Amino acid sequence: MAGCGGSPPKRAPPRKPLEELVREWEREDEEFRELRRRSADWKFIEEQPPHIRAALLYFIERGDRYVAAKIAGLTVGEFDELRRRANIPVVV
Amino acid sequence: MMLGVADSCFLIDWARFGRRELLANLFEAIFVHEEVLAQLRSPSAVDFASRLLARGVLRLYPWSLAEEELYLRLRDEVALDPRIPSLERPDLLCLVIAYETGAVLLTENLGILRVIQFHPTFSRVTAWTALEVLEQLVYRELAEVRSVGDFLNLVAEYCEDAKHVFSRKRLEEAVERVRRWLAR
Repeated sequence: MAGCGGSPPKRAPPRKPLEELVREWEREDEEFRELRRRSADWKFIEEQPPHIRAALLYFIERGDRYVAAKIAGLTVGEFDELRRRANIPVVV
Repeated sequence: MMLGVADSCFLIDWARFGRRELLANLFEAIFVHEEVLAQLRSPSAVDFASRLLARGVLRLYPWSLAEEELYLRLRDEVALDPRIPSLERPDLLCLVIAYETGAVLLTENLGILRVIQFHPTFSRVTAWTALEVLEQLVYRELAEVRSVGDFLNLVAEYCEDAKHVFSRKRLEEAVERVRRWLAR
């Protein structure tokens, strides 16, 4: 990520080859998924109506609030309230 | 002072932070697209956004037809790429605004961060998650941080308030940058 020390940089840093980035992303996805799984309140999730449960399970797998909100039929803000109650962290 | 553009996930999470008001000291103006604003529903996020709007720090972005065309091109390029987590319209609008204005993109969206990592055009955009915003609070002496421990406490405070976790790798990199800055 660019621009973390003092003022934003004028130029972007050199980019890594895409294949290398994809391998990094896959490792990152697995690490983040595990963090969400470990922290989740599974009892709370199981108690939810089917569409909310499906949305929370999707969020645990993919970490994507927009799609999870759409599955739940909610806005991102409304889904985020549920995510917090289910104790599923946002991992970035 | 800088310009920023915020996506809904950033605003929703940051609004939960006990020290959320510090954001206004970092930016001269933060643009927000009306479609992003429409995503905010939690009382904390709506309250935070409306107070920033009232102070003139948060500003509705005047979206143009040319930007809509740029959005459509970007959407066509990234929407079908299975390596990128799905990106919704409001996410991409923020990226287009950041590209067009040179504003810092405030986002918690992994898909957007990945587009910036690989895209030949949009890689010039500077994106900060809350972690980098917390770092900037240190560098600009807006948060009292005298040691790495203080910085880690600040990050822990944010993580607790927003129910957020930063990846170990990114946190270690941020800590190293703060360590170097403190030792300057």
